[in-house]
Amino acid sequence: MNKHIKTILSMTLITALIFGMTGCGQTQNQNQGETTGQNESQDQNQSENQSEEVTKEFSPKYPSDTEYKLSVAGTYSNFESLESAFERFYSHYPEGEIQYTYLDDYSNTIRQAIVGQEQPDIYVVQPWMYGDERYDCLFDSAEVLSASELEIDLECIRTDLRWEMNNGEIKTLPIFATSYGMLVNTDIFEKEGLEVPKTFDELKATCEKLKAAGYESPVMGANTSTTPGIGYAFAYPMFAKTVKDDRSVEDDLNNLVPSAGETMRAALTRLNELVKSGCIDVDKCTAEIEDDYNAVILRFFEGDVPMMLCSGDVVSGTKKRESKSEAFEANPFKYDFYVAPSGDEGGYYMDSMSLLFCVNKNGANIDMTNEFIRFLTSEKELGLMAQEKRLITPTKDYSLDEVYASLSEFPEERTISFRDTEILDTAVKQFRAAAYAVVNGEMTVDEAVAAYGTIETK
Amino acid sequence: MKKRYIFIINILIVGLILFIILKYANDRAEESNRASIASFEKMTTTTEQIIANYLEDEQHLCDIWSNYINGSAEAGTPMTVEEAISYIRKAKTSPEISGHLIYIDDGSMAGISTTASSTDSSDYSVKYSHINIFDNLEISNVDGVVNLTRAYTNPLNGVQSIAFLNNVKVVDEETGDMREGLLLRVVPVSRLEQKLVFLKGEYEKVEISLIDWDGDYMIHGKSLKNSNLFEYFKSYNPMTTQEYNRVVDSIRTETGSMHIRNSKDEDSVIAYAPLSNLDYWFIVAYIPAKELTANRSIDWILLGIVSFGLVVLLHFNLAILLKFNRKLSVAAEAANQANEAKSYFLSTMSHDIRTPMNAIIGMNEMIIRDSKDEKVLGYSENIRAAGNTLLGIINDILDFSKIEAGRMEIINVDYNIASLLNDLVNMVQRRAEEKGLTFELNVDKDIPRLLHGDEIRIKQVITNILSNAVKYTKEGSVIFSVASSKCEDEPDQITLHISVKDTGIGIKKEDRDKLFAAFERIDEKKNRNIEGTGLGMAIAQSFLNMMGSRLQVESEYGTGSEFSFDLKQKVVEWEPLGEFDLAYKHFLSERKQYQVQFVAPKARILVVDDNEINLKVFVNLLNETKIQIDTADSGDACIALFKRNSYDVIFLDHMMPEKDGIETIKEMKECTYTPNQKTPVICLTANAISGMRETYINAGFDDYLTKPIDTNRLENMLLTYLPKDLIGQADVEEEKPPSNTVQSILVVSEDVGFLKRIKERLTDRYKVVVVKSEEQALAYLQKQEAIDSERSEHE
Repeated sequence: MNKHIKTILSMTLITALIFGMTGCGQTQNQNQGETTGQNESQDQNQSENQSEEVTKEFSPKYPSDTEYKLSVAGTYSNFESLESAFERFYSHYPEGEIQYTYLDDYSNTIRQAIVGQEQPDIYVVQPWMYGDERYDCLFDSAEVLSASELEIDLECIRTDLRWEMNNGEIKTLPIFATSYGMLVNTDIFEKEGLEVPKTFDELKATCEKLKAAGYESPVMGANTSTTPGIGYAFAYPMFAKTVKDDRSVEDDLNNLVPSAGETMRAALTRLNELVKSGCIDVDKCTAEIEDDYNAVILRFFEGDVPMMLCSGDVVSGTKKRESKSEAFEANPFKYDFYVAPSGDEGGYYMDSMSLLFCVNKNGANIDMTNEFIRFLTSEKELGLMAQEKRLITPTKDYSLDEVYASLSEFPEERTISFRDTEILDTAVKQFRAAAYAVVNGEMTVDEAVAAYGTIETK
Repeated sequence: MKKRYIFIINILIVGLILFIILKYANDRAEESNRASIASFEKMTTTTEQIIANYLEDEQHLCDIWSNYINGSAEAGTPMTVEEAISYIRKAKTSPEISGHLIYIDDGSMAGISTTASSTDSSDYSVKYSHINIFDNLEISNVDGVVNLTRAYTNPLNGVQSIAFLNNVKVVDEETGDMREGLLLRVVPVSRLEQKLVFLKGEYEKVEISLIDWDGDYMIHGKSLKNSNLFEYFKSYNPMTTQEYNRVVDSIRTETGSMHIRNSKDEDSVIAYAPLSNLDYWFIVAYIPAKELTANRSIDWILLGIVSFGLVVLLHFNLAILLKFNRKLSVAAEAANQANEAKSYFLSTMSHDIRTPMNAIIGMNEMIIRDSKDEKVLGYSENIRAAGNTLLGIINDILDFSKIEAGRMEIINVDYNIASLLNDLVNMVQRRAEEKGLTFELNVDKDIPRLLHGDEIRIKQVITNILSNAVKYTKEGSVIFSVASSKCEDEPDQITLHISVKDTGIGIKKEDRDKLFAAFERIDEKKNRNIEGTGLGMAIAQSFLNMMGSRLQVESEYGTGSEFSFDLKQKVVEWEPLGEFDLAYKHFLSERKQYQVQFVAPKARILVVDDNEINLKVFVNLLNETKIQIDTADSGDACIALFKRNSYDVIFLDHMMPEKDGIETIKEMKECTYTPNQKTPVICLTANAISGMRETYINAGFDDYLTKPIDTNRLENMLLTYLPKDLIGQADVEEEKPPSNTVQSILVVSEDVGFLKRIKERLTDRYKVVVVKSEEQALAYLQKQEAIDSERSEHE
């Protein structure tokens, strides 16, 4: 009989629990339109969940009830990956608020803002601002993040991206890195039984096989003279490597001395070879890819392009556009980012900074700002931000985003960081224009080399 | 009802109560939530009005500036840009607010500000060419009640601001031309945010945002990530495009609220309303749903208490149930004991009545055999009849006892249907005649002669029905019909259709249910003189059920009844029964009138019984078999003889004082020095109740014989157990009927051929007289009567 009583007791409690849960469930069902989205939302919050491990590692300096209000000024109109980081920071300091603000005409207004009535506590800088006296105020106002008392773990940043000023101080925190290369539809390679090419010869051989398999233009890209364009994405890293190997030419290049155009020859020749080899159908690219961002991604998502030349910034747009592509929704596939195999020994990895944060040392909440930066400066936290933004992490650990896994442990000798060269924007624009002209047959390589400094840029 | 069903029902009731409580609590909570949300919406609407008023005020101040500047122009004294800015600088009271005046007629979007650049205190120039805030505004002719830009970065101080617009006309200082200018009253967004802090009212965690038509924020709270509300909503609330558009339309066109999931997948509520007097601006108030919804912890406490209470109640009920169950167990035990007592009583009664009955019937049988005195024979016949009736009653009770105990067995044997019918007819015809009733017999001539079934029980059932028919019929007739039909599905079987119809008192409709109830007698007062236990029909019905049949009754009270049943029987021999009379006679002719079946002068048997009369009866019954019979009046005497003499069969009484039959046979079996190791031992018993057979066989008996002893059964048993070489043929005397006892048959028919055939067929056994007409028959009968009377006078 005791057994029966236990059974009844258990069943009663279970019944109560079931009814209780049923009853409680009714409230949840009220949510308009969200009932089916919970699981998907979980995916979006995955990074936040993962961050719980991170937050365990972070040890707050100040009491958790510290009140604060911080502002971050930046160039992105929308910075959700940073806002996710705010949320994670709130778990340690819930009584505060951090607001991200997009500044119109950033390059001009940030200078006003940094000395204005409502100074941002954190602001974005770009490498090209350094040395331009108009932006000196940004670096002058920046906190020295390498100061030992701040306990910011800058060691987690890749050496190439750790930007030390002339006096050895570090005033910027790289948030994202970027590069140039190509998106690879790995499903196609798997289906055709091919390996992703690593050298230019392999690229040509692979393209032959892909063409035989019915892929008209195994390599595609935006036919523009911008950074995500065909010529720049494929050949610029090689050009930068040439400069890195002989930096004596930098001044002439930056001063647009025509003779310096010879530096472009190797890269432009290889680019010309690419076009002539038939690996890429430039006309097809022109016809089917209208711009260097949206169209590149959506064309790639059609699923029939084995390799799409682009920049890391383009890759950052893929995540959100997966759901906007009907073709990809219908037939999703796996894709990764690879360095373009332009060299005989392999491709060249441009390890460039995409976004840097500075802390306003004059900010009203400097302590909590530094605390936030201390929180943010970790492999996992920066990795999570990069993963959410789908840009390259500035830390040494590439493992959080599989798309960029190929960059992990890339050979040092074929890696070019921003510190390896100092090519000014004008010179870069000349190269972009030359590459565009060669790709489109407007100039031969010789003509482009000879015309350096006078090539019309758009 | 089984215990588990009670438990399940209890659990279901508890579950139902909990469900109702939860449902009620939920409904109340929902109601409360709806009220909270309505209140939240109201707060949002109020805030919207305050913000709208504020914006209108700011616009109004901007309009005052522009009216003043434009008034000067209209008055013919237009201001230059510097003069206008100088005026605004004086007019504005707050240092946070600045005025920008830019030219729009040349597309330069450049002009002067009331405040200097934060980086150069001497620089008052301002330029909007790189800030696209006028895309959705008709800046050449702003004519709204409130003309407001989106939130943008003030190019002079980098502060996020909004600007109220109006057109102004100023004069170009250099050319003297009138220029189209746009006056901006630039207000930091933070100023508006500060005002909103005081509008939160009772909602501590509310976050108020202002969005434009596209969902871009002018201001927004910390929980709403992204720069665009609609994008934010879409990111964390996946849905179809159609649903998404519906949500966006609601926010743009309605005042209301909705639940959304925030970036942490938490349930949240947003209330929204369009800002009055502003095209394409909307207020959105955000709050976590848990801040609005009623605190349900009280429901859980209530639920907990109720659950606990119900569980206690359940335990209490179970305890009570357990108590009742125990009482019921005790009662059941008592009932079992009573039943056992009843069985014991029946056993005792059976023995106690049947033992003297054995003596009475046995001795009476001796009288009938030996006496020549007609008077004595008449008395004896009455004794036999009464004895048989009494035995019938006892047998009924014993049968019923067996049926109740589930130990009644159906024992199928081959039997002759003619014999069965004959026994029945013999039994009932005499009783019917005694009551002056006409007994009619309708027997289907096609019934197979030899069938396989429980003859005894069938006979018992029909006897019961026939006896009842005779008992309850005062006048009229009893018609006994027997027919058969082949079973289609079982070719080796037939269905016997038995029917007994009477013209008796009949049975009322309301009494029909009592008909088959044990110990019930219908119309007790009216039938009080009728003998019986009231078990007959109940037993009959039980037997039929055991044989796969059922007794049907049709009756009309006062007119008569008909009892019938169908019974499947296996056919042993398909030879048809034919005309029953002929068959009966044929059967009789084949069956010799009872004579001793065998003689066995060399056989020696031992009979043990404590009752001396019973021993005498037993010896006399076997007198003609010439068997050598030793008797013993106790168990000990039996064992002494058992050890000394060799017997072919031993009959041992069960119920004896001191050492009963079972103890005796146990001792006999243990005895090794005896010539009777393999001698069969038959139990003599008056115990005929259920279960006794097993008892005797288990005790070591080879068989058992019930008292009063039936001579035929006794002889049959001896034939079974005596060695065959000891059995001899009995000397059978051919019984020849005396000539004067030959029966005469008078056959009347016009068919001469038929008469001839009958005469030829029956002449051997009967004196057959055939006549062609009734007149001839009457004449013959008169003549015969005269001869008979003359003969009797002569004798």
